[in-house]
Amino acid sequence: MADKAKVGREYAPVTWEVERGKIAEMAKAIGDPNPIYLDREAAIKQGYKDTPAPPTFLTVPMMWSSSMPAVINDLNINFMMVLHGEEEYEYYREIYPGDKLTGAPKVVSIEEKTNKSGRKMDMVTIEIVYTDEKGEKVARSRSLLVERK
Amino acid sequence: MAEEIYFEDIHVGDEMPVLVKGPVQKLQHVMYAGASGDFNPLHTDDDFAKAVGMKDGVISHGMLIMGFVGQAMTSWIPKKYVKRFGVRFAGMTRPGNTITITGKVTDKRLEAGENLISCELVASDENGDVKVTGHFDAALPSKG
Repeated sequence: MADKAKVGREYAPVTWEVERGKIAEMAKAIGDPNPIYLDREAAIKQGYKDTPAPPTFLTVPMMWSSSMPAVINDLNINFMMVLHGEEEYEYYREIYPGDKLTGAPKVVSIEEKTNKSGRKMDMVTIEIVYTDEKGEKVARSRSLLVERK
Repeated sequence: MAEEIYFEDIHVGDEMPVLVKGPVQKLQHVMYAGASGDFNPLHTDDDFAKAVGMKDGVISHGMLIMGFVGQAMTSWIPKKYVKRFGVRFAGMTRPGNTITITGKVTDKRLEAGENLISCELVASDENGDVKVTGHFDAALPSKG
């Protein structure tokens, strides 16, 4: 059961260097043939500085660094009972190869809800603001985790 | 490939070009696990998935389906114009499912000097079961 005392807690930041190959790998795994993710020249022709990261790329730093599993663990959420309820991104600029992104997961809220069949669930919202090496905001992610009880 | 698109070309009620993905294959789960770093065996190991109550075995990463929706979105509206993109995961996707993504423009407005459009998105399988609902906002260039 999610530990409500941890609302407001901010976890250690993760810094992640974005690689061109990882951007292409993500696009290929999704099966997105858009050349902007694979070919620098094609991306530049369409008004980008380089191959931009696909819209859901920000899942990569948190999962590969094991930061998100560590947060779930610290919140005492039962990993077997957790579902990903919602995910939202706000983009302030494109993410390109060579960017060094830093983001610290923050627990925004933990609320108990009861679903239609009377089952109780904890709704845990985690927000991460990503900045670049100059400290400028790049994007914000908001994840809703649902722990069934 | 997304072509140049202008605020004046988009109207409330316009439909996004439909994208059909799949059938989803287990191999794609393995590729997505490696790409994303999400190695939860629920998505790649049938024995594990069955042991935790998924009688038909592995289920897809929710974020893979969000990736499909993102592909549909940026095949229509260039990535560089998208300001906000969010989804709610409504149902589980399994290997063999074919996912169809549709979308519709719900609003257009001038806000803080930007030409914004809002769209809603739905991803459902071959039986019409909804997997993901979502929304995005984009700031488009103007002809004026």
